[in-house]
Amino acid sequence: MNKLKLIWILASLTALSVLSLNAQSQSDMRLNELLVTNTSDFQDDFGQHSAWFELFNVSYGTVNIGGCYLSNDRNNLTKYIIPKGDVLTQIPPRQHILFWADEQPFRGTFHVNFTLADSDTLFFVASDGRTIIDMIHVPKDLEENKSFGRSTDGFGEWEYRQYTSPSTNNSGVDQESKSSIMKRTDPHGLIMTLVAMIVVFSALIILFFLFKITGNIAIRSLQKKSDESSAETGSTKTDVAEASAETYAAIGVALHLFKEENEAHDEESFMLTLQHTDRTYSPWSSKIYTLRQTPTVKKNLR
Amino acid sequence: METIFNNLSEFWKFTGFANGDWSYLVMIAIGLIFIYLAIKKDWEPMLLIPIGFGIVMGNIPLFPGLSVGVYEEGSVLNILYYGVQKGFYPPLIFLGIGAMTDFSSLISNPKLLLIGAAAQFGIFGAYVLAMHLGFTPAEAGAIGIIGGADGPTAIFLSSKLAPDLMGAIAVSAYSYMALVPVIQPPIMKLLTTKKERLIRMKPPRPVSPTEKKLFPIIGFLLTAFIVPSGIPLLGMLFFGNLLKESGVTRRLAETARGPLVDIVTILIGLTVGCSTQADKFLQPKSIFIFVIGAFSFVVATFAGVLFVKFFNLFLKPGNKINPLIGNAGVSAVPDAARVSNNVGLSYDKTNYLLMHAMGPNVAGVIGSAVAAGILLGFLS
Repeated sequence: MNKLKLIWILASLTALSVLSLNAQSQSDMRLNELLVTNTSDFQDDFGQHSAWFELFNVSYGTVNIGGCYLSNDRNNLTKYIIPKGDVLTQIPPRQHILFWADEQPFRGTFHVNFTLADSDTLFFVASDGRTIIDMIHVPKDLEENKSFGRSTDGFGEWEYRQYTSPSTNNSGVDQESKSSIMKRTDPHGLIMTLVAMIVVFSALIILFFLFKITGNIAIRSLQKKSDESSAETGSTKTDVAEASAETYAAIGVALHLFKEENEAHDEESFMLTLQHTDRTYSPWSSKIYTLRQTPTVKKNLR
Repeated sequence: METIFNNLSEFWKFTGFANGDWSYLVMIAIGLIFIYLAIKKDWEPMLLIPIGFGIVMGNIPLFPGLSVGVYEEGSVLNILYYGVQKGFYPPLIFLGIGAMTDFSSLISNPKLLLIGAAAQFGIFGAYVLAMHLGFTPAEAGAIGIIGGADGPTAIFLSSKLAPDLMGAIAVSAYSYMALVPVIQPPIMKLLTTKKERLIRMKPPRPVSPTEKKLFPIIGFLLTAFIVPSGIPLLGMLFFGNLLKESGVTRRLAETARGPLVDIVTILIGLTVGCSTQADKFLQPKSIFIFVIGAFSFVVATFAGVLFVKFFNLFLKPGNKINPLIGNAGVSAVPDAARVSNNVGLSYDKTNYLLMHAMGPNVAGVIGSAVAAGILLGFLS
């Protein structure tokens, strides 16, 4: 009964974690930039200048936003469902996706059924239709062809932006690679060497102290047991810390040999003990051992 | 008749003879030397045979577009090579190493951990040299890891930091690991006095099963918190060891240290060998990599032995460490420990250093995985 309960609890926890994982990955999406009045900015696939907004995947894993909702109405959070099953709704790590707020959803997955000009707030809602993952108040004073976006993709403060950056980094400049930073700051590699060796030594020194402590605890516990045993038998006390593994190996071999010697006895006890086992399979219950060999016909040619 | 000749001449264009040049023959010769060394000299046969045959396989000149080469997307070899490119073979090998390694000598004498740390100077000595020779920091880091004397770590790191140099780095790392019995003894003898070589170390104390079970858990938690980028290697190493020491997962431990590690060794060896295609491998950079690799092994051995001598200054007479085990800090398990033992026995036939040398040897594995994590964190 206890086991059954445990299995139920574990199964429930697993189910919950799976559900929360799904929500968690969708929650890695952020509203990132928006443009309300588009007269000469980015064009959609139909050659139209429409309002647009951008989502950004802040995680390092692919996020499927199919089934999530977009809305401009707090009382109707499920206003536009992002279609499921479209391969383009799988947003790669650290990538953007652009939606057109042109009120023409029949034009494709990324055209929503509302406009930003009529919106006070833009909501990105999880697939449960209730959890608001991200929201932003649409500024009414946004100039024509100017965007409002985060200073850094996914996390920065919202600001009026000098340049629009649909489907690309808001920071505008590609980050310098760690390797080139290192080349600039440590051209001879000496600082790196020093830092890395300090870290390696620190890690192993801490490990050394930890195992010194656990070793001492283990020795103390063994010593206590050994002392108790000595007191019981009246034998001389042994210093466990000084005893070597080789001594134990020698004692083990001696005991083994002694046992082997004693096992070569001449007198038998004549006692047979039958022990029940839980094993369902046994050669005794196997069919193949109970069947006779298939008879073969041998013709006498003589 | 003309059609037959045309077809034959067309077929000729597909053959290796029509597409090859001397560079492919050089690489095939290198592969055959590897196979010879493995079979005749018994040098790391488990690695040199797959790598050697892989070099031969990878250097059959191909007509491009046949989808058979290791670099051609979708080919069988390319699919097998995926584990090297994405770096998931090395952690699987670490799982096996963890499941076959007995850390008792290290647990019984934890100060040996520090020798494993000192030997990592080889990695960073090579890093500095590579930087001076004009490699980028990412490339220098990947080349430097050769000094860790740990093939899987070298492949893991180079696949992340410098995929183009991975073939040369892996072949260099495995070659020098096979040459440990040749490279290390002269340095060990040069740096030690006869009196030091005769030092007898205290026999290791017995280690309780609880300590053995705690080791992988504490070891992982600590190292992973300090260097999270080393989790793939450190996690698998300690996980494998927990499978071994827990006492309740015998079958899993046996699979990890047996069939699994064998399968991955075959795949990693063969595909790394295949990746050394002449046009990618035979270039001046590869020669530099081999020179830096040799240098890193020498520095690591120097650092390990000298560190023990320095450490001995602070130890009581009965607790002194034989500096001949300093070389074992370079990992290369268990060859480096075997070298310590053999050199020790050549001076005192009853002074067995193997168990003592296994301490720094396995500490070297941990140390090089930590170092790889640091390089990955700083440079990727």
